[in-house]
Amino acid sequence: MQTVVYAARKIITMVPNRPEATHVAVRDGRVLAVGSLEEVSGWTSSDGGEQRLDETFADKVLLPGFVEGHAHMMAGGIWQFTYVGFEDRISPEGMLWEGLKDIDAVTQRLRQIESELAPGVPLIAWGFDPIFLTAHRLNRFDLDEVTRDRPIAVIHSNFHLMTVNSNALDLAEFDRNTDVMGVDRGEDGEPTGELQEMAAMFPVMRRLKIDIRSLARTDGGIRAYGKVCHRSGVTTATDLINDLPIEDVELIAAITGEEDYPARLVPVLNAHTAPADEIAAQALKLREMSTEKLRLGSIKIITDGSIQGFTARMRWPGYYKGPDHGIWNIPPEQLMTAVETLNAAGVHMHIHVNGDEASEVTIECVAQALTKNPNPDHRHVLQHCQLADAAQFRKIRNLGLCVNLFANHIYYFGDKHYELTVGPERAERIDACATALSEGVPLAIHSDAPVTPMGPLFTAWCAVNRVTPSGRVLGAAECISVEEALRAVTLGPAYTLHLDHEIGSIEVGKKADFTVLEDDPLAVDPMVIKDIGVWGTVLGGRLQPIS
Amino acid sequence: MNSSDQRLPLTVITGYLGAGKTTLVNHMLRHAGGRRIMVLVNDFGDIAIDADLIESQDGDTLTLANGCICCSMGGDLFYALSDALDRQPRPDHLLIEASGVADPTRISETARAEPDLRLDGTIAVVDAVGFADRVADSRIGSSVVRQVAAADLIVITKSDLEEITELAKLKTQLAEFAPGARQLDANFGQVPLEVLLGGLPSAEVTARAHACSHHDHPDDHEDLYLRWSISGDFRYDRQTLRSLLENLPAGLLRLKGIVQFNADEGLGLVQVVGRRAEITSLSARFEGVMQTNLVAIGLKGQMEPADLDRLFA
Ligand SMILES: [Zn+2]
Ligand SMILES: [Zn+2]
Repeated sequence: MQTVVYAARKIITMVPNRPEATHVAVRDGRVLAVGSLEEVSGWTSSDGGEQRLDETFADKVLLPGFVEGHAHMMAGGIWQFTYVGFEDRISPEGMLWEGLKDIDAVTQRLRQIESELAPGVPLIAWGFDPIFLTAHRLNRFDLDEVTRDRPIAVIHSNFHLMTVNSNALDLAEFDRNTDVMGVDRGEDGEPTGELQEMAAMFPVMRRLKIDIRSLARTDGGIRAYGKVCHRSGVTTATDLINDLPIEDVELIAAITGEEDYPARLVPVLNAHTAPADEIAAQALKLREMSTEKLRLGSIKIITDGSIQGFTARMRWPGYYKGPDHGIWNIPPEQLMTAVETLNAAGVHMHIHVNGDEASEVTIECVAQALTKNPNPDHRHVLQHCQLADAAQFRKIRNLGLCVNLFANHIYYFGDKHYELTVGPERAERIDACATALSEGVPLAIHSDAPVTPMGPLFTAWCAVNRVTPSGRVLGAAECISVEEALRAVTLGPAYTLHLDHEIGSIEVGKKADFTVLEDDPLAVDPMVIKDIGVWGTVLGGRLQPIS
Repeated sequence: MNSSDQRLPLTVITGYLGAGKTTLVNHMLRHAGGRRIMVLVNDFGDIAIDADLIESQDGDTLTLANGCICCSMGGDLFYALSDALDRQPRPDHLLIEASGVADPTRISETARAEPDLRLDGTIAVVDAVGFADRVADSRIGSSVVRQVAAADLIVITKSDLEEITELAKLKTQLAEFAPGARQLDANFGQVPLEVLLGGLPSAEVTARAHACSHHDHPDDHEDLYLRWSISGDFRYDRQTLRSLLENLPAGLLRLKGIVQFNADEGLGLVQVVGRRAEITSLSARFEGVMQTNLVAIGLKGQMEPADLDRLFA
């Protein structure tokens, strides 16, 4: 019975009796004890087992392993395309991709990658964010300078837009006579190269064989996702919508089952592929296929669109400036049936709601479903839930619902919401973490990677500081403390996944899943917690340094 | 006649829950007359497409999950359309039954953007009894209005259950939401397939009118619909033709055929579905067709053959 005692500069536990400690004893992949060296050594002196003191973390800070409660597996596979975003990013393979601060830098990187490609192969890039590059809109002329001899497509960071070169426009037969929604045209009547939304992007994606879904379904994509999690200190991550055909489940189970796969995965079944009773049966069957590192059985329903796309369902008075394109992804009465059926079957639900009408309708559906079929400890989760007001949070609490708020959104879209989509007042209550906590709602916060980069320290930073790129503090009263934010990326999401008895805190009996940091987020200036280095993680007692 | 146009025609069927979309799709499959129709269903409520029909038509039904609209690139529509286009042999027609709240323009614009697809039209199915309440519902009203506003043809169901005055009010309301869209009262059996899907060679039109092999409904097409055709050495100026097509009689539901252009401008393929009109240039060496050859179907009493003669002859 080998026991390893890890000494650390500090261990932040999420346990009220001893919120901080210096030593943690690990046995059989689980936490045996937390406290001082003397306290944790008591076990081996009484049962006569072997104990080894490990000083690897002597100057590090240990936290419970981060839990990413809403992200997508394709955050890994997307790296097969060339990164052209504004921020520095490290690829799953550990290569630093410097952030590109202007359009020249973007074309320069594309030119370099282009020179290494075999003839005829399209050049596909991702992560471009026009919010930060405002000099002019990226257009086909910029990309034609890279080359006109092969198609180029630059996918924007929000995945709703792309900019392509003339070669790609020609392939799609887009020209000055094209009058299709989303094919942007300049004053001269010619396409600018910017293609907005599915209809306009479809012909290019089809011809360039850009297959987003398969990014999440291949051996390489699943492995890359594990690496993305590992690099950001995440030990348990969701894949928050997946059709989960049996062959995919078997593949994920095999890969996560390898000892060195660095994270536990929680793929969530897409509830939009079959009638609710069939989905319920499939979810219950999947639950039985769970392993130590693969947890199955939850489902996801998407109710509306996005706020920045003006497709979220909003209550009165609607959008601030700009047209209301609010769409339901499922008719409210079908949502009622689905929620009722799935709740009655005892299936755990994640429900995507962005606008406050979507949250309102969903709250009503859950209330009805629970009245018919009481389901104590259901922990259904409202995902995103970005515009709920205090009254909705009180209902959410009363119904036993959880929220997973999109804290990264405050930084990435906050200015736009203030100026354009929902106006100052409602922008200030977006992703209202403090209200959720003060009303007693179980809280998690998330990145929705790859929509925004995975990084729980960054997500916590957003919830703590609520600053935007323009320097605005968006709703100071909704800022939460660093302690609260750290809980919202560990024990909070663990609770929303029904996993808080196994992970989320450093506590006797739990899995020895730790995030290892170079500095103490509770000691540094809250404005720099996003910059703290991640040494790596510990998963079930296995040390996983970022090499 | 269609052989030079290799594009796959796509029809979007939109309408709120219970309006009768599935009944309409089943009707279309039943009367497909040998055409291979592929159906995509974007609704997980109750999939009631008759599987026997699909097999007998040698077609296919795919369920289109809604997936994640916040990342539309990975959406099921993308894969379903790609799949339909890549099939060998390609289906003759693609029908998409959109979900009860879908914005049909998201689908129809994709068909307009994709060079290998041809948007045949958007058909909205409206339930005469429930429509007004739905429009008034603050939660779904905007979706329902959007569906109607996108329609080229509006099929009104359960109209026999509604008072005449109420029905007239409904039609006025629909015309406000969708100016120019053609409205059809339909107890389903009564809508000929050529109205819904078009594509019938002109020579066969008359022959086919009574050729429905499967009758579970009274066949009184001929009381309601009227056909018109023209064939001969008629030539048109492109611009003039375009404005002709914008001023067709209100009762005209479909018009299709080949036209000759003035001078050496060759031939064009004209396709009108409700208020949607498209002129496509055809290559000069076209399947032996030399002359203008048009066929139309419309509502009796709302489309006078003499008016069409005046426009085209
Ligand atoms: Zn998501
Ligand atoms: Zn989503």
